[in-house]
Amino acid sequence: MSLSITAKESIKTALAMTLSYGIALSLGWDKPYWAGFSVAFISLATSGQSLNKGAYRMLGTLMAGLVSLAIIALSPQSRWLFITLLSAWVGFCTYMTWGKRHPVFWGYSGYVCAVVSMAAGPDPVNAFQTAVLRAQETGLGILVYSLVAMLVWPINSRPKFEAAAAKLASTQQQLLKTSLEWMAGKGDPTTVQQLRGREMQEQKQFVQLFAAAETDSYEIWELRHHWHSYQHLVAELSEAMARWRENLTGTQTLDLPGLMPNLSSFAAEIDGRLTQIGRMLANQEPGQQPSAVDLEIDDTKVVHLSHFHKAALTVIRDQLRRMESLTRSLFHSAGYIKGFSPAAPELDDRPPVTEGFGLPDPDRAAGAVRVMLIMWIAYLGMIYVDRFPAGPDAVAVAGTFGLVIAGIPQVSIWLLFLPAFLSTLVSGLIYFLVMPQLSSFLGLGALLFGVTFAIYYLLAAPRLNVAKLLAISMFMTVISVSNHQTYHFLVVSTTALMLPVVFICMGVTAYFPVDLRPRQSFLRLRGRYFRSCEYLMDALRQDPQKSESRLARLKKAFHLREMSSLPTKLGVWSRVLSMKALPGTSPQQITAMVTALQGLSYRMQQLVEDRSHPQAPFLVQELRSDVAAWGTKMTEAFRCLAGEPSVEDQNIFHKELTGIMERLNMRIEETVDKAAGNITGRDGENFYRFLGACRGVADALAAYVASAGAIDWAPWREERFY
Amino acid sequence: MDMGGIDMNTMPHELAVGGVYLPPLLVAATLGTIAAVLTALFLNRIRLSKYFFYPPFVFLAFFIIYTVLLGTFVVRI
Repeated sequence: MSLSITAKESIKTALAMTLSYGIALSLGWDKPYWAGFSVAFISLATSGQSLNKGAYRMLGTLMAGLVSLAIIALSPQSRWLFITLLSAWVGFCTYMTWGKRHPVFWGYSGYVCAVVSMAAGPDPVNAFQTAVLRAQETGLGILVYSLVAMLVWPINSRPKFEAAAAKLASTQQQLLKTSLEWMAGKGDPTTVQQLRGREMQEQKQFVQLFAAAETDSYEIWELRHHWHSYQHLVAELSEAMARWRENLTGTQTLDLPGLMPNLSSFAAEIDGRLTQIGRMLANQEPGQQPSAVDLEIDDTKVVHLSHFHKAALTVIRDQLRRMESLTRSLFHSAGYIKGFSPAAPELDDRPPVTEGFGLPDPDRAAGAVRVMLIMWIAYLGMIYVDRFPAGPDAVAVAGTFGLVIAGIPQVSIWLLFLPAFLSTLVSGLIYFLVMPQLSSFLGLGALLFGVTFAIYYLLAAPRLNVAKLLAISMFMTVISVSNHQTYHFLVVSTTALMLPVVFICMGVTAYFPVDLRPRQSFLRLRGRYFRSCEYLMDALRQDPQKSESRLARLKKAFHLREMSSLPTKLGVWSRVLSMKALPGTSPQQITAMVTALQGLSYRMQQLVEDRSHPQAPFLVQELRSDVAAWGTKMTEAFRCLAGEPSVEDQNIFHKELTGIMERLNMRIEETVDKAAGNITGRDGENFYRFLGACRGVADALAAYVASAGAIDWAPWREERFY
Repeated sequence: MDMGGIDMNTMPHELAVGGVYLPPLLVAATLGTIAAVLTALFLNRIRLSKYFFYPPFVFLAFFIIYTVLLGTFVVRI
């Protein structure tokens, strides 16, 4: 009989837990459950992920030990300075934890600091010993789990990672194929949307497994720079395809195969390259090498098109060329990684411009403030409320839970209360009824093994991760194993009473200072999205040839990141909206609105990029006022939408938008006639690119207005308790 | 026994549940929370909650009012 992976992983965690307790008890260490906590928190799906997390956790623990001692040393006999410093550090760590750089390190730096400071702070004489003991026990748990993971049923992430890479390549190929069919008027947009969703999920999985495989597989580690480059190319191809699909709506009336005679052979070449990439990732030799191909345009047909259609065609052609260039790079990258190509391709592991330490993230900052507030409420309760349950431990637990929930504000904390409370009660029963019957470590070890296995096996699903961690934490806290075991009703009652107190602290911060109810959060993020669009549109009025100040560049990068990331966040919040409280709105309408916002993001990004290209001075001079009028209209629309979810009268809005686009088209006709021969090929291309981007933004905005107009917003504005 | 005119029933006293003594404020606060949740659900259902400026504050007020009333007249805190 072969065991399932879940059973094997549960056995490994249970074994490491039992061994950690056994070693800590045999060494006479106080509170051995700290070693148990360490095991519980690092045991993830594969050994690579756990080793990685274990190393970061150890470093985070050491950092936390140092910071705790510094905080205690800086604030002797000064409780307000103590909590100010401690909450500031935990808040900072929370902000960093939910970023992209070393989240585990920062997470444990904050969490262990809260635990050590609250354990050692009230007892400064033993602060050093307490800090060292916590670090020792944490290290023991990491070491034991790492050894168990390596020696018992070791799981190497490499096969999983390579399979994920091949699956992603296959999904991208299917997506390209379906999108091409859709472009030809044969495909189904729903299938395209489903494939796009799958592609995004697989990309996320690819990144996670890459981090694991880099640690536990020498082969992946050796080629990590090339895999990083491959990952960036895949992400760029994904975005290029998304932008191309968005722009297809502007070319629906055009005969694209007629205008681009070799479109089908061009598409077949890209499709073939993706097929070969999939083959190579599955360790099969590629059947063919990429051949040089360019997308030709039939100039005799193009002259008859309107300027807006010419612009749309230029944009589509640019994007198809970009996809061609990316698939070629991907082919060479996959070929080199798999040993089918001897020449190393040029590495592309530049971080995206919109990511950087200097750019503040409002959501992460709100999470950090929330954790600080949670700790302050618990601390004030500890000082001013007589017999506050669990005292300093409650502050540490509140800080720890706060750090976990700060990055997932859409999860209702009241849903977490039930598993925590139930596990406290069950653990209480074990504590009173089972533990007194045990007389040696053999019995205790069997109990620890059995309960840990049960919790990890029954709550193995990823969505139950928080419940699993709460259950095991409560179990270890309640049974409070020590060499001189005592049994007291107060242990269980204090833990049981501490939980509501901690959850009340967290619950208060779900409403103040930032209202985190799903409906309010959704409306707030939507408003923020349009404020960023408004800023960017306003910034486009500046002359692109003039150098920008550092602050202006930072602001632009900030709003670009806001605009590109907010549709995803809105998608996450939309899944937790209570549809019962929103009559007149269906989940499909919300999805359509979020998709429209995503489309608008792509178009706006395109516009910002194309604006930086130089334009012919003659065109700039002639069309300045018309383009400015268009920009003013767009800025006004964004400003209006930042306040209200939809425009008052859709018909008037569409009429005005169409009017302004028609005027622009007319002026372009006149200007181009006037310019006859004064515009070079490059100037013409840049002009049509810019024009195509302007048209794209107007179309995407119209699509949003149409999707938002279908929703009845009155119930959204109605106040409710939950 | 003569208690000098003090009625023992009006004195704050702990509540025994299965041999465990619970502080009266805890019992009053728990009942107050349940009553506030039920009131909020009822007001949501009949759509009266739309008349409040910020319902979370109102919930807090309900909780305090119920806890004080239950504590004064029922549990005797």
